Amino acid sequence: MNEFEWRRQLRELREPVAPNRDLWPAIDAALDGATQAVTPLPARPSRRRRWLLGAGLAASLLVSGGLGWQLLQAPPRNTSTAATSNWKPADPRLAGAAIELDAARMELELAIRQAPDSAGLQRLLRRTEQQQAQLRHLADRAS
Amino acid sequence: MPPVSTAAHDSDDVRAAAAGDRHAFQRLYTLHVGRVYGALQRLAGYDHARAEDLTQEAFIRAWQKLPGFRHESAFGTWLYRLAVNVALMDIRARGADPVSVRDDELLPDPGETPFCAAERGELEQAISQLPPRARAVLVLHDIEGWRHEDIGDELGMAVGTSKAQLHRARGLLRKALGEHS
Repeated sequence: MNEFEWRRQLRELREPVAPNRDLWPAIDAALDGATQAVTPLPARPSRRRRWLLGAGLAASLLVSGGLGWQLLQAPPRNTSTAATSNWKPADPRLAGAAIELDAARMELELAIRQAPDSAGLQRLLRRTEQQQAQLRHLADRAS
Repeated sequence: MPPVSTAAHDSDDVRAAAAGDRHAFQRLYTLHVGRVYGALQRLAGYDHARAEDLTQEAFIRAWQKLPGFRHESAFGTWLYRLAVNVALMDIRARGADPVSVRDDELLPDPGETPFCAAERGELEQAISQLPPRARAVLVLHDIEGWRHEDIGDELGMAVGTSKAQLHRARGLLRKALGEHS
């Protein structure tokens, strides 16, 4: 059997399949609590969405670079622990990174509202949150 | 992308459903549920219960997003893409990040394992045993007919990574089928 026949064999699996039970009643019930988007969403990635993705990526890379540079420096002396958002350590070197990370996270959250299905944006958000946690850990360790 | 397999005459129902007409949406469900469920069942490794959950989730999200549907593509294609995305997000949420290649060591080198004919049931069984990430790439490319560029876009990975994942997933599948034959 050659690759062509192999792929044809697999393609034959691509056909509609009826579910074993009618799923509509459950969907219909769930729609009662599901509101439709008031503001029309773009049907496919728009320039704005791509711009936001690019901006988010750029911000994340910028912050990663800045954070990496700060980690190489001498440990800070005065930091404070605070909540996840709007947390600002006393050390100015960490405060700058904290502000950048906060801004990047908010930017990404806004972009995700526009494109909630974007795996790339979700990944960037997780990475940014991890960097925030690392920064807090660093500040705690130094204090 | 796979060809549009559904009729394009449902645009009136799409507009009505986007305006909140539940009956119109039910007609769309009836027309498209087979295609959606079929794809999700394959991506879910023929786990019927999970495929049902994903199908429900896909239609709920479609309802929510319908006001933003621009009719730039067929509704069936838009819905299908949305449903696949729901499945991929589910795979990721279950800790099997389709972007990662962490489990590459679990995948055998395809080497010279020959292509082999298999019964449909054997194929489905072998696909169901693939790791979720490998299965997602193989199903999207070899069954659903997606291009590597589209898979890369959806999974957030490079085209080369998608090709490498497919190559190794095929190897795993062929090895499983060889052992059964």
